[in-house]
Amino acid sequence: MKEIKENIIQRIKANFADAAEKNDFKDNRVDFSVKKETIPSILFYLKDEMGFIHLSHISCVDWLEEGELEVVFIVWSPKDKIKVFVRTRLDRDNPVMDNVDMIWRQANTYEREMREMFGVQFTGLVAPEEFLLEDWQGPPPFRRDFDTAAYAEKTFWHRPGREDAQDVRETIANRDGEEIPDFAKKYSR
Amino acid sequence: METVLMDILGAVVTFLVAFVVGMTYGGLSRKITARVQNRKGPPWYQNFIDAFKLGFKKSAIHHGVMHHLGGAFLMVSSVMTLMIVPVLSHNNWFPNLNFQGDLIFLLYIMTFGPLGMALGAGQTGNPNSAIGVTRGLSQMVGFEIPWVLALVALMIQYHTTSITGLMAAQAHSGTWLMFSSPFAFIAAVMAMLGMFRYSPFDIVGAPTELASGPVSENGGKYLFVMMSSGSVFTFAKLTLYVDLFMGGADNLLILLVKTFALYLIPMLYGMTTPRYRTEQAVRWFWGWPSFFGLLAILQAVIF
Amino acid sequence: MMNDKNSQKIVDIIQNWARKHSIWVLAYGTGCGAIEIPPTMTSRYDAERLGVRGAATPRQADVLLITGYLTVKTMKRVIRVYEQMQDPKYVIGFGSCTINGGMYYDSYNTIKVLDKYLPVDVYINGCMPRPEAVLSGFAQLQKRIAEGRANGAQQYKDNLEWYRANQKKIIPNWIMPEYNW
Repeated sequence: MKEIKENIIQRIKANFADAAEKNDFKDNRVDFSVKKETIPSILFYLKDEMGFIHLSHISCVDWLEEGELEVVFIVWSPKDKIKVFVRTRLDRDNPVMDNVDMIWRQANTYEREMREMFGVQFTGLVAPEEFLLEDWQGPPPFRRDFDTAAYAEKTFWHRPGREDAQDVRETIANRDGEEIPDFAKKYSR
Repeated sequence: METVLMDILGAVVTFLVAFVVGMTYGGLSRKITARVQNRKGPPWYQNFIDAFKLGFKKSAIHHGVMHHLGGAFLMVSSVMTLMIVPVLSHNNWFPNLNFQGDLIFLLYIMTFGPLGMALGAGQTGNPNSAIGVTRGLSQMVGFEIPWVLALVALMIQYHTTSITGLMAAQAHSGTWLMFSSPFAFIAAVMAMLGMFRYSPFDIVGAPTELASGPVSENGGKYLFVMMSSGSVFTFAKLTLYVDLFMGGADNLLILLVKTFALYLIPMLYGMTTPRYRTEQAVRWFWGWPSFFGLLAILQAVIF
Repeated sequence: MMNDKNSQKIVDIIQNWARKHSIWVLAYGTGCGAIEIPPTMTSRYDAERLGVRGAATPRQADVLLITGYLTVKTMKRVIRVYEQMQDPKYVIGFGSCTINGGMYYDSYNTIKVLDKYLPVDVYINGCMPRPEAVLSGFAQLQKRIAEGRANGAQQYKDNLEWYRANQKKIIPNWIMPEYNW
């Protein structure tokens, strides 16, 4: 296991000058961070030359304090039983990167979701505009500066009394003729 | 004049009996299914409540003339079948329109209802209806072959094309046709599994898959008409089988016993088998049932 | 001799009795609640003994059972389904999410109060309601039907503009076919 991991790290570092090791995981994970221009070539190399034929996941992390969005590609090699994380950072105000759905077709779905939820733009992505959200007019909702509670307060009605559910307790107590116990009275208005 | 009035009254009585018996059989089948599944199940009169509720619905939309007529075609086909099939052997209360060749006419009129329903379902524009109709017609092509083979075997063997003629032949020889021409009976019963559309052959209305197929756009009174016509048709088909293969019935009680015994066959077979796909169902009908139908024709020609 | 009002009352009682004992349910499994319907219908709890039975399409259904949270996207479909149902029709709100948003109270994409958008006859509380609670909800609906108080559909017709305004507030891009219901 250890030798295979070392070998993978060596090969990637030899071929991609900007590949830097991020975390040293104890288990079968290898972690890399690259520039965003390198992403298609490193993914092609992993898939075609090193046997990482399976795309497990593409996720996105919002680093609000650093003003960056991080896109993580997780690929899996069924032969070596090794997982490789390829990370890249994008500018938060102008998150543009290359489309990779020619490498794995299923990447298209992830990219649509990221475009909708984080506002990451993929150059050359061919897909319908709307995916999970219909008629969405606000900012991308998975970004950390989007206040969902305030948005929900503004957009939807709220039933009063939800915070302590006292009316429900009283209704049940009245219907069944029982006393509200002391520990429940603590939460009442 | 009086005989005509009596006949009309008798036709109404026949229809009512068929409606009540068919609905009750439907309810009993739901009850028996529930007991097989270790449930309490609805009461035996649940189908009547459902039918009344559907009749009491305040609104029922339709999508055009053909959709409106689809249910009517079904009802016409059911009532026509019922009027041709002799309900009891010797009884003035249940008149019937028997004539030479009515067995051949019956073959046509029994497929007329589904065809009219197909036209009606086509106009609703619901894709599930269209798929259901396609499946239903495919299945009909499947089970019509053994069914026609069985009937043709009977016609060749007894040199008659009328139901009353076959009943008279049974009364004359003293044995039921299910014993004297067993292959025709086996083929006809296997075809009956498809006619009743119980479980392995419920590909037409498959609820989880097609959203009840051709009837998916019908609610309220339309569904009420289809439900009652289905009940009448059930009774008519069972009575036809009793007339053809079990020597008919002299009174209503014997008729009920015989028809219910026949009705249990598709019902209980359905509880043990999951649904077929369309091509599997057609292949099933063109396999052993058709083989038995051919055997029946051989028996009729040789003996 | 009975007058018209009394005979109407008797007809109503018979109709309501039939409606009460034959409830065809369209279970709209939008969220997590759909998993509670199979145990309610099958041999353990057997809702069919009460006349409760699944309906395949909205045209045949009497009750729209809305299980779980409703996102804005599914809300559009629920409105279409409800308007395709035939009168008289009832709505059961199933689970806390339909009552006050439940655990999705601060979600950006789920509605919190269902009865602002559709007339709800009976709410079933719980997250999730167990099959006993579902049966209790059906019994409550039967009681209301028998008393003639389950008139949500009439309320919807009378206050259609109010409901439409609420619905259009959350669905800005209103592309709906016209129904002749």
